Amino acid sequence: MATFCHLIVIAGILGLAHAAFSAAQHRSYIRLTEQEFTRLPADIVLECLLSLIVTCYGVITMAGKFKGIRAMAEFQTKSMDTVGNRPSFYSFAHRGFKKQPEEAKTKNDS
Amino acid sequence: MAATMDFEDVRDKLRKWREDKVRNSTETAELGEYLLANYRRKLGDEVWPLFEQVSIASLDCGKLSLARLCIHAVREQFPQSSRSKRLHGMLEEAEGDFESAKETYEEILKGDPANGLVMKRLVAIHKGKNDIPSAIKELNKYIASFMSDSEAWMELAELYIQEQDYSKAAFCFEELILYNPHHHLYHQRYAEILYTQGGIDNLEIARKYFAQAVKLNSNNIRALYGMLLCAYHIASSSKSTAKKKTENTKYASWAKVQLDYKYKQSEPKDEEVLGEMFDRLAITSGN
Repeated sequence: MATFCHLIVIAGILGLAHAAFSAAQHRSYIRLTEQEFTRLPADIVLECLLSLIVTCYGVITMAGKFKGIRAMAEFQTKSMDTVGNRPSFYSFAHRGFKKQPEEAKTKNDS
Repeated sequence: MAATMDFEDVRDKLRKWREDKVRNSTETAELGEYLLANYRRKLGDEVWPLFEQVSIASLDCGKLSLARLCIHAVREQFPQSSRSKRLHGMLEEAEGDFESAKETYEEILKGDPANGLVMKRLVAIHKGKNDIPSAIKELNKYIASFMSDSEAWMELAELYIQEQDYSKAAFCFEELILYNPHHHLYHQRYAEILYTQGGIDNLEIARKYFAQAVKLNSNNIRALYGMLLCAYHIASSSKSTAKKKTENTKYASWAKVQLDYKYKQSEPKDEEVLGEMFDRLAITSGN
């Protein structure tokens, strides 16, 4: 279960979490020492970006082989018999009715 | 037949037919009746779409008693729903009582004026009475409000074809192609309309659309035949230039080679018949 790409994704996510915690801790430190907050230290930003790249790479590797986008793939196997059906417009006044004359009698009786 | 198949197979089959909008009503009614009679509890909430599917299928076969049972069950469960009222309207249509069907639908529309499905049933009423011009008028009214409904455009095209108004039918299919440019069947059908209209210009355009259909789906045999016939007619027409004749003979023989190959792959016993047909059309391989 714990294959290499799973480990990469977990490492990436841990890195992101660590960067988030570091950033929060940095801000509270700045607030405590009453310094002005201009921007985050470079190492936290770098850690965040690197973890993002590592996580993306891991997820893509985990997803497996990509299939090409084929807009017409779903239509290849269908014939006009099914595609040409317009169910909202079905009319029942056709020859198939003549097969069951006893049904018409039932209607007249009831 | 139904009793020998097991529950999951029948249910999955019916589900697939419901999703793909297949219209084999006799089998649907038979299998659906079997499921509903014996496995009502196992189906759970899927009973209701199944009831709807079976009622429409039984209306199609003329099994009105089965249809009445199903529709009654649905109406008892969902008395206020416009969907169940619509089913009741369809039952009245199938019985031939178009007036009360129209009243039913207009009542639903009074409560819900934007109900597209019910507006489409009004069109179907005109179809049932075989009054195609009114059906076309009603459908044009519907399309004015619901412009992107592919089903409605295709229905309008088929109604125009019935009235032999091919230019308007071609327009409808152009709209369909605009909405779905990757659908090979729309290109093929559009080409068929142009081919029916006839004339060298239309045949050329038809050949191009058939070619596009083949490009989108190489298994579309009908489009290959269409391409073959268009090219053949252009090549043998007296009005085409020599250059057009040679081009089209090449296209025709290309289509012939493709058809030969496809038939060899799947129906080798038909090769002889195919060969005879080509001989009669007198198509030789490219020069």
